[in-house]
Amino acid sequence: MMVSQVYIRKWGLSLFFCLGILASAAAQEFRFTTNVSSTRVAQDEPFQIQFMLENAPNVSSFQPPALNDFEILQGPSQVQGQSIFNGQRSEYIALIYVLQPRRVGNFTLPGATARVDGKMVRSNPVTIEVVKGSPGAAQAPPPATVPGFPPRRSAPPGIGDEDVAEGILRKGEDVDAKLRKNIFLKVEVDKTSVYEGEQLTATYKLYTRLPTNSSVTRVPAFKGFSAKDIELPNPPQATTERLNGKLFKVFTIRKTLLFPLQSGTLELDPVEVDNQVRLVRLVQDNNRRNRPRDIFEDFFNDPGFRDPFNDPFFDDFFNRPEVTYEDVPYKIQSTPVKINVKPLPVDTRPISFNGAVGNFRMSASIDKKALTTDDALTLKVVISGQGNVNLLNGPKVDIPGSFEKYDPKITDNIEKNSNPLSGSRQFEFALMPLEAGQQTIPPVEFSYFDPLAKAYKTIRSQAFTVNVSPGKQTKRDQEDFSVDKNVLIPVRKTPQQWVKDAAFLLGSTWYWILLLIPLLALGAGILYRRRLNYRQNNADMLKHRYANKAALKRLELAARYLKEGKEHAFYEETSRAIWGYLSHKLHIPFADLNKQLVQDKLSSRQINGQNTHELFELLDNCEMALYAPAHSNDKMQGAYQQAVKVISQLEEELKTKKELI
Amino acid sequence: MSAIRYILLLSFVLLGYSALQAQQLSPQQRFERANRLYQQNQYTEAAGIYQQLINEGYSLPDLYFNAGNAYYKSNRTGMAVYNYEKALLINPENEAVIHNLALANQRVQGFTDELPLLFFQKWWIQWQHLHSPNGWTTGSLVLLWLLIAGILAYLLAERFQTRAVRIGLGVAGALCAIYFFMSVYTYSVAHSHDTGIVMSSGIKARAAPDQNGKDLFTLNEGMKVQVLDATQEFCKVQLADGKTGWVACEQVKRL
Repeated sequence: MMVSQVYIRKWGLSLFFCLGILASAAAQEFRFTTNVSSTRVAQDEPFQIQFMLENAPNVSSFQPPALNDFEILQGPSQVQGQSIFNGQRSEYIALIYVLQPRRVGNFTLPGATARVDGKMVRSNPVTIEVVKGSPGAAQAPPPATVPGFPPRRSAPPGIGDEDVAEGILRKGEDVDAKLRKNIFLKVEVDKTSVYEGEQLTATYKLYTRLPTNSSVTRVPAFKGFSAKDIELPNPPQATTERLNGKLFKVFTIRKTLLFPLQSGTLELDPVEVDNQVRLVRLVQDNNRRNRPRDIFEDFFNDPGFRDPFNDPFFDDFFNRPEVTYEDVPYKIQSTPVKINVKPLPVDTRPISFNGAVGNFRMSASIDKKALTTDDALTLKVVISGQGNVNLLNGPKVDIPGSFEKYDPKITDNIEKNSNPLSGSRQFEFALMPLEAGQQTIPPVEFSYFDPLAKAYKTIRSQAFTVNVSPGKQTKRDQEDFSVDKNVLIPVRKTPQQWVKDAAFLLGSTWYWILLLIPLLALGAGILYRRRLNYRQNNADMLKHRYANKAALKRLELAARYLKEGKEHAFYEETSRAIWGYLSHKLHIPFADLNKQLVQDKLSSRQINGQNTHELFELLDNCEMALYAPAHSNDKMQGAYQQAVKVISQLEEELKTKKELI
Repeated sequence: MSAIRYILLLSFVLLGYSALQAQQLSPQQRFERANRLYQQNQYTEAAGIYQQLINEGYSLPDLYFNAGNAYYKSNRTGMAVYNYEKALLINPENEAVIHNLALANQRVQGFTDELPLLFFQKWWIQWQHLHSPNGWTTGSLVLLWLLIAGILAYLLAERFQTRAVRIGLGVAGALCAIYFFMSVYTYSVAHSHDTGIVMSSGIKARAAPDQNGKDLFTLNEGMKVQVLDATQEFCKVQLADGKTGWVACEQVKRL
């Protein structure tokens, strides 16, 4: 197939008319079509639309449709040509536009109209779907592969030709304003209102139109989030993006999947980038011509070399501006982004929920159905899906007490660079059966919050039944009687004395009765003793009371002896009467009687003086008369009188003193 | 119709008879059966039988010990600790119980050991366990009878009114007082129930005795607590490290 094309850059259809007439001779099939390079384009992505009129005999007008929703980057360019295929010649005329969408949405282009042979014809309508700009889409312009953007001499072909001119600092231009306009950072988040634990994606992008050597000096910390970075190509790949009609090179600094860990308003920290922007400054140097100069050096240093004639600051060929390179440091910071994190609903929260947010599936399995107590069982729970897989906590497993449970072994299988984060996490619980018999492991339960459905969802596995037979460990238990530090001392098997707990004696009435009996006996004993004592005391009292009488009785006997003149007998009787009286009155046993004791007793009863003196004188007299008889009747008479007097006086005194005491 | 009725009746009678027979097994036989179940790793069943014996009123240190072991093996740490502590209340010197209790306490989350007792505290406890509570009571009774008999003899018979008898009576009186005091003391100790074992995990101790009190700390199964105060529903407990808080009384099984 042979195709020849002619480009015509001007409006007008004169030539195409002539050719149309020329081509009318051939009876070829007439076609009028609309072709687009892509029906699904990103915003900021240029695409081509072509209205092709084939074998039209007599074209008098050719009207493109209204292209209000698109920006015309290029065109219309008219192409016409002819092809000879299998000896058949066909002609075509085409109108070509390069368009860029202005808005997101679906747009239907009604098709171009043309008047062919006096009749109006219309090409087929085309629907174009414009989606939000995604970097790296088809038709990407050639990337700047060198990191750090060295100042470029030559422009990349195609649409990139606008940006290099910005590297030149023209006279009178403000550096700061220029930098501000041409380099900046942008943070893009896919959602600004999420649930706790729901994923959002934050992309930090550097937009530049200037050659710059940039380094990131501060990376965001993402306080309150769990962050998972998406790996970016190294060296960084630039994409282009059109912003406000200007084309920017865009570098993705960081792309992170974020999972908020708390509710409230959280802020994404700004990122800070240090730029060394290489600017070319044009300097008017008047002495230039006086200086010898290598023409080639000049040639190569000239940034305006590419298109000197278009440079508005180009004065004349011989007065070319002197240029200097200047590295301008420029620090930029992105604006912080606020994320509103909604708390998960509390009322409907299942017990087994422990923080999973997303969309998950769960499977649980055990590796054995029958085992002995010597073996171990593995309960494997795999949770897979999309969401905060990296933050998943173990599901709720109610292992019965008849199993020893160990902490689960966790294995992650997270798809690299998946967005949203997806993958699986596997929990392997090792279980040691402790008891023989039919054991049941209750269903494993796992709950998660589905942010799309705004509801909790709970998955339950089936229950597992395990047959446990006793292992050999029993035997080891039996043989091991040594006290190992971590081994349970086995049960005691010695026969026991099966006596039920006796009630506390202290609480029983019998105890208190038995306690009371001796106390009563004691009381009785004491009473009896008292009585005995009383009786004894009474006898004493009677003796005391009749002391005087007894003395007089004794003295009566003495008086008889006196009358009879029996001197010895008289004194003996008198002495005995007095001693007897004292013995009874002062409670002194007869054997212990002596003068000293009597004196002490009397003085202790405060009976002193004349009376005592007389008493002892009388006693002395009696003793004297007993051993040296005087044979005087008068003396005997006197002694008798004295004795009566002393006894009655003592009696009186003892009475009064007793009352005093 | 009547045949079915007969069969039903017969089966009921048989069932009742077998149940009766199960009841008629002697405690020793049931104890041995539980021990056998324990050897066959059927710990829950074994613990059930031990518990039944305990509930019937047999409180033997070995029974508590075996029950503690069975509970320990069936992972019911709270009940295990409770039974070991019970065994220790009866015999605080039992090495095997002390050893197994230490093992059980290793399973208790957040377990804080009690301060070791000072020498005189140990002596005091040994002294308390010189006799059983009823032993002290009986002793006091016997001594009282002897004392009273002595006093009566002293009072009523002149030949007993000697110095030796007086000293003897003084000693007997002092002993009797001591025995009586100890019997009252051990009785009060046995009836105080001021320590308890926490029976389930993750219980929040609160600052006030109601459901809305501020959470202070968490109690876990098997912790030993002192019960300081109690309302109808809530008990004020103190941990070994001195923290106090209110929990629902049913969560704490008193020793």
